[in-house]
Amino acid sequence: MLLLLKGRSREAFDQLYRQYSAVLYGVVLKVISDDHTAQDVLQEAFVKIWNNIEQYDTAKGRIYTWMMNIARNAAIDKLRSRGEIMKGKIQTGDDVVNNTAQRGMRTEQVTDAIGLRKVVSALKPDYEVIVDLAYFKGYTLDEISRTLNIPLGTVKTRMRAAMQQLREVYNR
Amino acid sequence: MDIKEYIESGVLEAYALGALPADEAARVQADLARNPELAAELAAIEETMYQFAANNAQEPPAGMAERIWATIDATGREQTEKPAARTIPVGSSYSTRWNMAAMWAALVISLAGNALFWYRNSEQKREYVAQTTRMEQMATDINSLAGTIDEYRKNKAMMADTGMQTVVMHTMQPGHPMAATLFWSKQNGDAYVSIDALPEPPKGMQYQLWVMQDGKPVDMGVLPTGMANTPAIQKVNMKVMEGQAFAISLEKQGGSPTPTMQNIYVMGKPA
Repeated sequence: MLLLLKGRSREAFDQLYRQYSAVLYGVVLKVISDDHTAQDVLQEAFVKIWNNIEQYDTAKGRIYTWMMNIARNAAIDKLRSRGEIMKGKIQTGDDVVNNTAQRGMRTEQVTDAIGLRKVVSALKPDYEVIVDLAYFKGYTLDEISRTLNIPLGTVKTRMRAAMQQLREVYNR
Repeated sequence: MDIKEYIESGVLEAYALGALPADEAARVQADLARNPELAAELAAIEETMYQFAANNAQEPPAGMAERIWATIDATGREQTEKPAARTIPVGSSYSTRWNMAAMWAALVISLAGNALFWYRNSEQKREYVAQTTRMEQMATDINSLAGTIDEYRKNKAMMADTGMQTVVMHTMQPGHPMAATLFWSKQNGDAYVSIDALPEPPKGMQYQLWVMQDGKPVDMGVLPTGMANTPAIQKVNMKVMEGQAFAISLEKQGGSPTPTMQNIYVMGKPA
């Protein structure tokens, strides 16, 4: 499959699209709530994936993770270019937490039918904000640490704890 | 590296989320390659992340795939038409892309080839040095073998001399089993000595060979140091026309005019 992709097989790419487009669209929608913009971003993301497939290396991890990071970063770039986000980087921790809570309510309306909020709200708020910043806002550890004003080590261990909780939810 | 601590630190989660700076991510990637336990943990984290997102999956609208292909083809053509306007004949974007791919492949193969040749070349240099060393060693071995053969040839000629008799000298020091051998031809006065069963002389000392003529010890010369304990046979530098006994004593370096009586190690009488 990967060999086919790197050889620019259209069939393989179509399969990749079928397999992951819905999941990636979901990720993009977490960052951008507007459907049209989100669709543009998803399209850009897949074009990027096609153009940069040589850069994917199985040693880095599974292909979904690589694609997810591309899609998410594309979404963040879009927001950034519109000046809608990244004010966050100079926001105080409280603002971010509040924004997260607000945005959380928004996504709740969109995704409650699938039960995501239930899963995420199973997380402690401390953990949730970190997962949110890292997963859906593309913050680096350093930025999270500075934004929330908590030590880098704490950011890492909370990220770890959050993932552990999620893992329990899915393995149940 | 403590694997458990490494995992508990949360660095793998950050890695999977692309939240690490490039240098740290590269370090983590190297650690992953070395350590299957870390790789398994990363796989579990990635699965969780995937599940997390899959729970939130939204089917994109129909026609999205076609739009993506249209964009890919359009940008592909844009990129390839620019050079086409100059000299390169216009091909389809597809075949041009293949040409590019072929060029890159050729470049990569060429570079890989260079690296391989460089590697082989340095390998061969190392091999050459090793071979040269081995050859030098072999030359030394051959020289020493030639010396040994020469020695044996002389010994054989000496042994073949029917007038040659063997005088075995036995230990004169009770409790110390020592021996030496003297080959002596009464007819022509040639004498050879071997001290393969004598211990190495202490530093500053040397063995000296004596012949008893008319009841008096006559000096036959000192034996080279390093000869003891080896099968070497040394020709004596004088004609020995007569002798009632032969003896070897341990003397100070350079020898003595008369043997030190308590240091006579071995003695033997001819038939």
